[in-house]
Amino acid sequence: MVIRFTCNGRAVQVEAEPEARVIDVLRDGLRLTGTKEGCGRGECGACTVLLDGKPVNACLLLAGKIVDRDVVTIEGIAGEDGSLHPIQEAFLDTGAVQCGFCTPGMILSAKALLDEIDTPGVAEVEEALAGNLCRCTGYGKVVDAVLAASRRMAPGADRGGE
Amino acid sequence: MRYLKPTSIHEAADALESSRGTILAGGTDLCVYMAEGVCQPETLIDISGIDSMRGIETIQSGREEATVRIGAGTTVAEVAASEALPDCLRQGAQAVGSPQIRNLGTIGGNVCNASPCGDTLTPLLALDARFVLRSTAGTRTVESEEFFTGPKQTVLDPHEILEFIELPSASCARASAFRMIGNRKGQAISQVNAAVSVAIVDGVMSDVRVAVGSVAPVPLRLAGLEELLSGKTVEDLHPANLRDAVLEGVRPIDDVRSTATYRQEVTVALVFDALAACGGQRSGQDEGAGAW
Amino acid sequence: MVSSVSVIGKRIRKVDGREMVTGEAKFSGDYIFPGMVYGTVKRAGVPAGRIKSIDVTPANAVPGVVDVLVAADIPGPNLIGILPPLDQPVLASDEIRYAGESVALVVAESAEAARRGAQAVAVEIEAYEPILTVDAALAPDARKIHETGNVTFSKKLRKGEVESAFERADILVEGDYETSFQEHAYLEPETVCAVPGRRFTLYASCQSPFHIRGHVAANLGVPASSVKVIQANTGGSFGGKDDVATEIGALACIAAQRLNRPVMIAHERKESIVGSNLRHAARIHIKTGALKDGRIIAREVRVLLDGGAYASESPFVTMKTLIHAAGPYNIENVSVESTSIYTNKTYCGAFRGFGVPQVTFASESQIDELAEKLGLDPLEIRRINGLRAGDPNATGQIYEQSVGLLETIEEIAKRPEPAGRKDDDRHVHGTGYAAVAQGISNGAEGIDVTGASVQMSQDGSVLVGIGLTELGQGSRTVYALIAAEVLGVDVDSVSVRSVDTDAVHDSGPTVASRSTTVGGMAVHKAASEVKKSLVSMAALMMKTEGENIELRDGFAVLRTDESARIPIASVATAAYWTGFPLMNLAFSKAPEANFDDETHQGDVYIAYNYGTHRMDVRVDTLTGEVTVLNHLAAHDVGRVINPLGLEGQVEGASLMGFGLAHMERIQYVDGIIQNANFADYAVPSIKDRLPTATITVEDPNPTGPFGAKGAGEPPVAATAAVFANAVADAVGVRFTRLPITREDILDALKRGNHD
Ligand SMILES: Cc1cc2nc3c(=O)[nH]c(=O)nc-3n(C[C@H](O)[C@H](O)[C@H](O)COP(=O)(O)OP(=O)(O)OC[C@H]3O[C@@H](n4cnc5c(N)ncnc54)[C@H](O)[C@@H]3O)c2cc1C
Ligand code: FES
Ligand code: FES
Repeated sequence: MVIRFTCNGRAVQVEAEPEARVIDVLRDGLRLTGTKEGCGRGECGACTVLLDGKPVNACLLLAGKIVDRDVVTIEGIAGEDGSLHPIQEAFLDTGAVQCGFCTPGMILSAKALLDEIDTPGVAEVEEALAGNLCRCTGYGKVVDAVLAASRRMAPGADRGGE
Repeated sequence: MRYLKPTSIHEAADALESSRGTILAGGTDLCVYMAEGVCQPETLIDISGIDSMRGIETIQSGREEATVRIGAGTTVAEVAASEALPDCLRQGAQAVGSPQIRNLGTIGGNVCNASPCGDTLTPLLALDARFVLRSTAGTRTVESEEFFTGPKQTVLDPHEILEFIELPSASCARASAFRMIGNRKGQAISQVNAAVSVAIVDGVMSDVRVAVGSVAPVPLRLAGLEELLSGKTVEDLHPANLRDAVLEGVRPIDDVRSTATYRQEVTVALVFDALAACGGQRSGQDEGAGAW
Repeated sequence: MVSSVSVIGKRIRKVDGREMVTGEAKFSGDYIFPGMVYGTVKRAGVPAGRIKSIDVTPANAVPGVVDVLVAADIPGPNLIGILPPLDQPVLASDEIRYAGESVALVVAESAEAARRGAQAVAVEIEAYEPILTVDAALAPDARKIHETGNVTFSKKLRKGEVESAFERADILVEGDYETSFQEHAYLEPETVCAVPGRRFTLYASCQSPFHIRGHVAANLGVPASSVKVIQANTGGSFGGKDDVATEIGALACIAAQRLNRPVMIAHERKESIVGSNLRHAARIHIKTGALKDGRIIAREVRVLLDGGAYASESPFVTMKTLIHAAGPYNIENVSVESTSIYTNKTYCGAFRGFGVPQVTFASESQIDELAEKLGLDPLEIRRINGLRAGDPNATGQIYEQSVGLLETIEEIAKRPEPAGRKDDDRHVHGTGYAAVAQGISNGAEGIDVTGASVQMSQDGSVLVGIGLTELGQGSRTVYALIAAEVLGVDVDSVSVRSVDTDAVHDSGPTVASRSTTVGGMAVHKAASEVKKSLVSMAALMMKTEGENIELRDGFAVLRTDESARIPIASVATAAYWTGFPLMNLAFSKAPEANFDDETHQGDVYIAYNYGTHRMDVRVDTLTGEVTVLNHLAAHDVGRVINPLGLEGQVEGASLMGFGLAHMERIQYVDGIIQNANFADYAVPSIKDRLPTATITVEDPNPTGPFGAKGAGEPPVAATAAVFANAVADAVGVRFTRLPITREDILDALKRGNHD
């Protein structure tokens, strides 16, 4: 069947079975390969996308469930002009990216958090990212990145460098 | 594979009756089973389009006392965030998986999946929850304590849908708390979990409910312990006093996640912590050490 | 002797980071080619036996399946491995040596169909009684897992006379230690994608592309030059991707050739755990003798490594344990015997730290025990015995420079105790220390050569090519920084190209913390040659001598008159038209190891990284839960090239060591792994992270670029050891086995109370 939904702000339609996994619809159907598959079982968060603004595992989400809904992937985070989102900038500045495989999912979980809470504390950041495993960084710099991004995104903050 | 997406509970019940399909709620358990090949449904009946099965409300029916009614399709995240629900249930919901899992998974799915380690099951037992099951023949109500019959087994008939979960308002008025321990601090599956609901008047406990999970094929109430605690004061609580009654009730096993001995030991600690939290005492468990 | 620099040591963004935060970075699984098909490996499922028959007909009948390969379809010798004699088949033809062993490859139009096809392959196996422990493997009448027997590799180290020294010792401690199998658990499972053509192109998630090229070509029966390996962005490796990339790379190429279609093989998580190498489980016996004043005079160690079904890097890991078992100490008499053993389990190989974490845990535990018996402070005993410049280490090698162990100890000693850690009726607190030394580069394991090219364009921009791979550790950023520093240009004007075996020089494997040191040296050399051209050109242009020219901030500057400056782009353009070469291919060859094969006395590594850690913990005595309150990680890294990258390495490696020490353990039942997923194999989550504070000591290493030494591995060992010592201090009972789980801690508390 034709699956119609909003993806990164655009109305899209893809030919897919309703029981197909959304991760496959995005990667194979729309060639949005920024969404990564690390386990296919909901255990690593590499496939995180935002569904109506909330983080979910695209490997456990079936295509039939996204009809008429809003999906945001890592490709939809930067500005149209290629300018990076403050969270993306913060991940680079603080050294929160090593191999980069967990990064798209991390950034989307962070975005969902910062869209909800302007100035989260460390515990809130940890709770929000608890579903995103990273084997490279040890997470310290990931927490720093989210906190730095929240400061940059705070109303009135200078959006330039730190 | 057929994929149906009914918009009413009646449509869903009809579809289930005629197709012998499999209910799909959030899919966080079912999709894993399908990926592992342990479950290959011919028809999926996605109940996420049934609005009446979502949300939490307080209902007053006739002369009966008020009840809090939770739609089975309410997400675990919504349960965790609901001010209307008792602490133990919110805390149990918050302990499920990760934010991503809680946003997709439903409380009904957690119940019907009936894993012995399901994190909302012990809270529901401690709160005397009732499950409203729907089929084309109508509805029936089952007490939470009678619902679970074994690991991943319930009294649900193949053509029945869990429509609502009801909590008697009396149980919602009691103090309650949930504690769990898993193999890591974030996104952990419970090695053991415990939920407690208790009325405390002038420091004295009554109406005690203690439920523990992952220590038997089904989530358990610890009747012996409940009796022992009834009439005792919160200040007198001490892990050593609970120990025998807890150990008498549980029947844990060794598995890939834990050993039976560890489960026993830690059940005592978790039950104690949950009781202490109900009494307003500071829990001994480290902040952030549990998974919620 | 730190020379003045402009970009080295600054906190620099990862040069290849942008594409990773936007999702544009292409990993192997992100390639899509027209007509591509997907392969899934059929695995044995039993740990030991002999294949009686393989029936592929049911698999061929599965809709979508286009081909099924068995061992007989492999044109080449059907052998892979790291060191000759190679012992591992690409597809098993006869004997099954572990449950994850590959027996067939099913290729289909979709990954899903390939998986179903693999399930349908009917393999009849005559099962043998599996050999599941090193004891069973070493039993006199044990079945031989390989024709050569069950000992993979065994070596001895002899320094001085341990026996007589033990007799002189005032105090002896002796103990047995164990560590478990650990999974790499990189987030990206192993993936390759082969494209057929006149030559083969293989996109691979891998660590050592030239190694893979060689083995893939051999099994294809073609010369190495017929295969081009492109390292795609690689989602972590930590030592774990080369063996598998070779196996599935060869299979993908063979299938691509048969079908004349591109073939992708992407492991599922479960396959990544059961079918690719792990960290060796170890059993270690140590005896240490010391004098009353705390000086250690003798140490004897026996290391038994469970290496699983195939050799892989067992020989190297064995060597590493041999050389590191004495720890970072000056001990006159040392005797070590290290042996790796075949068993019917998943093969073990390279894993960040290479055996050093296992022996360091054992060694540092025993050092603490010794300190306690001697009534010495744990830091004091390490101070007394710690290696200093000029001291001979366990192989008798003496470094006159860059031995910063004592500085790391003092860095730790001078930090104040964190406040407010009073025990209560439920919680106990403890503090642990551990010291580590880890050899940098291949050293004992092989000759260490790296080639790198540096090219400047007429616009002054720079392209670096090297065969060592970026795996997340930030090596591209390090190379860019080194080239920028030498050539006086901005880091942003330097690009480091991806590794394509057609275009860069073979640089050997990306292992053993050698990227920064050996790789960085090659880049430094190549850049210095290009610099010569620029300096000569600038000197001509400014009518002066080359020695008066400095390259800095994008200009060639006259030292005597700073206002006389020419943009480097102009110098480069002029150099091009004048005929000065703007590209250079340079080699860095580490001094060859030179040691006696019987005693392992001699010069082994070009340098060591030294470190000291401290950890403070709180233990919940009712649940065994541990909260790490403080973790200080001091390392002598020679010279910090990029602090941001360095801290990332230390923090990431530390958490990996913590996983090994506390949470991670591959669980076998009858030779079958029970927890091959991330729900039951507990990789630390963000809530388990450590409060690691990285402290650097810079004692420049004359053999590294700007004095740098690698640092990606040593914190694994130090953290594993320091956790054990901290928890032991808290609960008052020593632990002899990793991981130390909450179960073990509760158990120890109970035992402790009854003692
Ligand atoms: C990575 C990961 C981590 C997890 N961690 C936890 C955890 O910590 N704690 C925990 O408790 N659980 C955990 N789970 C399990 C799971 O997320 C929960 O059980 C969740 O609540 C299931 O809800 P669902 O809506 O996704 O169920 P589904 O997968 O849709 O359904 C589960 C089962 O229940 C049936 N079903 C669902 N709804 C109904 C209904 N209304 N009537 C009749 N039958 C129904 C389905 O047919 C199916 O058999 C985890 C899962 C994953 C993948
Ligand atoms: S791939 Fe979806 S959670 Fe790992
Ligand atoms: S950066 Fe490699 S997994 Fe997070």
